[in-house]
Amino acid sequence: MNIVLTINGIRRELTIDPGETLLHLLRRVGYKGVKKGCETGDCGACAVLLDDRAVNSCLVLAAKADGHEIVTIEGLAQWGKEDEIYPIGQAWDDELHPIQRAFLDAGAVQCGYCTPGMMISAADLLAHNPNPTEREIKEAIAGNLCRCTGYVKQIEAISKAAEIIRGLHE
Amino acid sequence: MSLARLKEYLQPASLDEALTLLQNGPEKTRLIGGGIDIVLHNKDVERLIDLSRLSLAYVNQEETGISVGATTTMTQLLEASPVQGYLGGIIPEVLHLVASPLLRNLGTIGGTLASAHPWSDIITLFLALAADVTLFDGEHHTVPLVELYRGKYRKILSGAIITGVFVPNHPSNTAAAFRKFSRTGFDIALLNCACLIQLANDRCSKARVVAGGTPWLASRLTSVEEALIGEPFESRSIVKAAIMAESTAAVHGDTRASADYRRELIRIGIERCLIQVMQRSSG
Amino acid sequence: MSKGDFYVVGKSLPKVDGISLVTGKPRFVADIELPGMLYAKILTSPHPHARIVGIDTSKAEKLPGVASVLTHDNTPHTRYTTAGQGYPEPSPYDTMMFDSKVRFVGDRVAAVAAENEQVADEALRLIRVDYAPIPEIISPDDAIAAGAPVIHDERDARGIHDARHNIAASVDIATGDVGAGFSESDVVVETTCETQYAQHVPLEPHVCLSWLDEDGRLVIRTSTQVPFHVRRIVAHVLNLPVGKIRVIKPRIGGAFGTKQEIVLEDLAGLFTLRTGRPVLLELTRKEEFVSSRTRHPMRVRVKLGAKKNGTLHAIEMEALSNTGAYGTHGLTVLSNVGSKTLPLYNKADNVHFFGKAVYTNLPVAGAYRGYGAPQGYFPLETAMDELAERLGIDPLVLRRRNHIQTGETSPIFERLGEGREGVAQTIKSCALDRCIEAGAERIGWTDKRGKRHMEGKTAYGIGMSIHMQGSGIPYIDMGAATIKMNEDGSFNLLLGATDLGTGSDTILAQIAAEVLGVPLSKMIVYSSDTDRTPFDVGAYASSTTYVSGQAVEQAAKKIRGQIISVASAMLGEDMEGLILADEHVIGEGKSVSLAEVCRHALYESDQFQPAATASYFPRETAPPFMASFAEVAVDTETGAVGVVRYVAAVDCGTAINPRLAEGQVEGAVVNGIGYALTEEMLLSKHGRVQNPSLFDYKIPCALDIPPIDVILVESHEPTGPMGAKSIAEIGINAPIPTIANAVYDAVGIRLSKTPFTPERVLQAIRKAK
Repeated sequence: MNIVLTINGIRRELTIDPGETLLHLLRRVGYKGVKKGCETGDCGACAVLLDDRAVNSCLVLAAKADGHEIVTIEGLAQWGKEDEIYPIGQAWDDELHPIQRAFLDAGAVQCGYCTPGMMISAADLLAHNPNPTEREIKEAIAGNLCRCTGYVKQIEAISKAAEIIRGLHE
Repeated sequence: MSLARLKEYLQPASLDEALTLLQNGPEKTRLIGGGIDIVLHNKDVERLIDLSRLSLAYVNQEETGISVGATTTMTQLLEASPVQGYLGGIIPEVLHLVASPLLRNLGTIGGTLASAHPWSDIITLFLALAADVTLFDGEHHTVPLVELYRGKYRKILSGAIITGVFVPNHPSNTAAAFRKFSRTGFDIALLNCACLIQLANDRCSKARVVAGGTPWLASRLTSVEEALIGEPFESRSIVKAAIMAESTAAVHGDTRASADYRRELIRIGIERCLIQVMQRSSG
Repeated sequence: MSKGDFYVVGKSLPKVDGISLVTGKPRFVADIELPGMLYAKILTSPHPHARIVGIDTSKAEKLPGVASVLTHDNTPHTRYTTAGQGYPEPSPYDTMMFDSKVRFVGDRVAAVAAENEQVADEALRLIRVDYAPIPEIISPDDAIAAGAPVIHDERDARGIHDARHNIAASVDIATGDVGAGFSESDVVVETTCETQYAQHVPLEPHVCLSWLDEDGRLVIRTSTQVPFHVRRIVAHVLNLPVGKIRVIKPRIGGAFGTKQEIVLEDLAGLFTLRTGRPVLLELTRKEEFVSSRTRHPMRVRVKLGAKKNGTLHAIEMEALSNTGAYGTHGLTVLSNVGSKTLPLYNKADNVHFFGKAVYTNLPVAGAYRGYGAPQGYFPLETAMDELAERLGIDPLVLRRRNHIQTGETSPIFERLGEGREGVAQTIKSCALDRCIEAGAERIGWTDKRGKRHMEGKTAYGIGMSIHMQGSGIPYIDMGAATIKMNEDGSFNLLLGATDLGTGSDTILAQIAAEVLGVPLSKMIVYSSDTDRTPFDVGAYASSTTYVSGQAVEQAAKKIRGQIISVASAMLGEDMEGLILADEHVIGEGKSVSLAEVCRHALYESDQFQPAATASYFPRETAPPFMASFAEVAVDTETGAVGVVRYVAAVDCGTAINPRLAEGQVEGAVVNGIGYALTEEMLLSKHGRVQNPSLFDYKIPCALDIPPIDVILVESHEPTGPMGAKSIAEIGINAPIPTIANAVYDAVGIRLSKTPFTPERVLQAIRKAK
């Protein structure tokens, strides 16, 4: 069957198997930043934004994404700059999204396999709650398992990214 | 991983059309909300009927309660304004404990009720809140949630569409509490319980006491409710009720927890719920 | 050299591969697709122990889209070990690509390569296998009982300690006389602890992609810790010259020891050789749980004898290790139960360590971060706490009185190495006393210890433990690095060392940049490709910083010599007075840029390529040390143990990149908290994994972590690169005994079996009443 969806701001017409998952489709058409860790919704490595909310793409049928907007890690830096996603409605002067910059600076990336999904969850959080508590940050990434970092620096990075985003507002 | 046998993914624009597609479909026809359980547990499905174009994603404040559409996601319900003040915010409080945001952004309330996982926190809560479920099988039915999975409605459910759930208002002298026991912060319940207590002159006038993940689907603990009703609502009766829960509730062991341990948890959970209800009532 | 004197080292610089990772660039094994690629799948045994009487693959072979089917009948019958260790491997050669016997539920039976995954799956279903079941052994005690079925009855296995009695490996070493030691002791305590089947859970399961290059050589792009061992072992199994194989390690999605095993590469390689086509072979999460590798479950008994003043006099440690169906890493992990723990308490003159690693028809244990040390530290540090109580001494004081110090040695270093005799050595740097002090102060030890208090039904307590590990394996490991200079003053750093996500590419580049006086941005790092980089044993045994780091430092020093020689000619100054700094060679009043130097060398006069390769072969190890503290909250009704606060004070020598060093400890501690509290592979009566998913094998999520303070207590290790030691593993040794001791402080019960699930803790509380 054919579907039309927007991936990272680009309208795509794609032919899919009815039973194909969004994870499979996205990797098949080149979005390799979307990682496969379990295919059962337990690890979060495959998270993407579906209409601005983070979901496990392994549990979404591609057919269900017909007509919807998808943002993958490859499109994160552009997302939000354009669509007034954040309450601040203001662009930042960086090739990286503030979350990506904060992850890099905080040492929140070790192997980098959980990182795309983790940052997608963080992007959802900060788009809806730019001033999260530590508890809210932890909850936002509870479905994104990481085995390398112990989460300490990831939580720190998301907190820092929130600061950057709020700072842009001021 | 994908659904290799799926031939048709249909997105009807009306309930009638959806029902026709359901009733005329091949044997392996399923409705799909968020699709989590379809992808995980229905590998042989041949036709899927997506309900997302039926305008069933809503949370409405009505005179007698809150009406929630079947395709409302758990996140949408958690964030909806009508539920924030309902019974001290018990609905978002519980939803924060359900799975993870990644799953709450996808999973729907209708899907939760249709999948009926025995560990479901939402079903345990909704049972305590005396929720009704609305079904459509050509006619609209309103069914108490407690009846949904048994008797005639079980049969109706198999050929019907869950369109929503209604949680009724409760009198101002009512409070609710919920407890979940799990292994990590992102986990299903090894056991959960919920209590809804109405007080009149410091006595318990109405009680709904529910335990789920026993490891079976949530059910009301009627003997515990009976033991509470009419009694002064105080520590002694709470302890008594908790012990009664431990001794009467049907529990079973599995790889996640033994029967003995679940029995302990049911006592502790009910006691802690009731103590919290007491605090919330006095506060 | 003090910290302040460094230019690049000692700074928390972002990782050299960081931007590509945060932007999701396709850097992992399965992120590339090759034309004509086949997808391979493995059929595994449903039986814990059986002989394969017959396999019929005819239907599978006829299925359209199937390219190749492999079984015992058409594959090499070479015995090998899947353990990626130094050669000759200390692990027994008890494995075959496809054996005629299966030894655990999940053992290889057949494999298919097909045009797509669906066809491969369908083909597996069409393979008919006749099994003749054999009685299974599902506990180590049953394995060594009289009359037990023999798991490895094959005649061609090599290196098994006692196959007829299911003993894969055995160790027995002693110093002094423990019998006399205990009778001379004033106080003797004894404790036995059991640890569970636990798994590594890298977020990326094992995955491997192979193809033939233009010259017909076999290329294997694989998620491995040990590319050079992969090359050697695959060459052995497939009977190819090493030179016909190229192994590439791209970015790796975590490993923790499980990728120190050759689990897939032989299969993908053979499919490629048979079909001439690229082959992708990746494990699903379920297969990862069932068929890859685990930590060795163990029962370890520790007996301590001490004088009244608290000086340890005798230590006995006995380990029974379950290596599962194959003996991979069986001997060496067993050795490390003692070798990584006993030297810590070198005041005891009488020490006896002995144990066995036995076969069972259960999942295969292998290398896992900590490598036996966590299993040893659990009873050792529990017993130390018990001893402190018996002696009426603060546990912290008891440890201070007994732990090894700078300038001291332990006879264990010499008696016990990695599966063989060890190497005598003295400790050149040990800041454990400062670790204990810093950690105790941060957690508030003096105020909180022994003052258990209740809040409602919750009891609070505090506990500690101390640890050491190693930095590489002396006289076995070797790492090498090549540095090549470019005419813009940049350098290619070619590393055999294997960055698994640890950040080793970054810290090794920092070391080179430091020597060469250039910023990190001038180092172009390429790691782990058997064709393009020099040899390195790989990333295991906390070896990379210490061993590979010295290779890098020496290679950098060599090329610095070449640069100075060229600059000396250019500047007309003696070499002795020239230094490298800020991308220049600086003489007396004159300087020349590195770019100019390289241009000169490549184009202008006496042309040559400035380049150098150096190897480092460690003759000793430099143990890192750690003092670990935890505050716990025990729900006395449910038995749930929550960690409220964790403090890890670690002596890592110089921290080359402090933030990455902290990250190693944080990750290891959280992995250890999961090991202590929630993680357990559940096995049925017939050896089947009952929870092969992240749905039911519970690793910690962000909500589960307490505030964790990592304190890097710097020391200077004179034998290490820039004074550094390795700290990738040590953090995982600590949570089990630290939490167990804190639980004792809170509720007065000694936990002796991991994980400390609420149900288990509640039972222990009840039993104590």
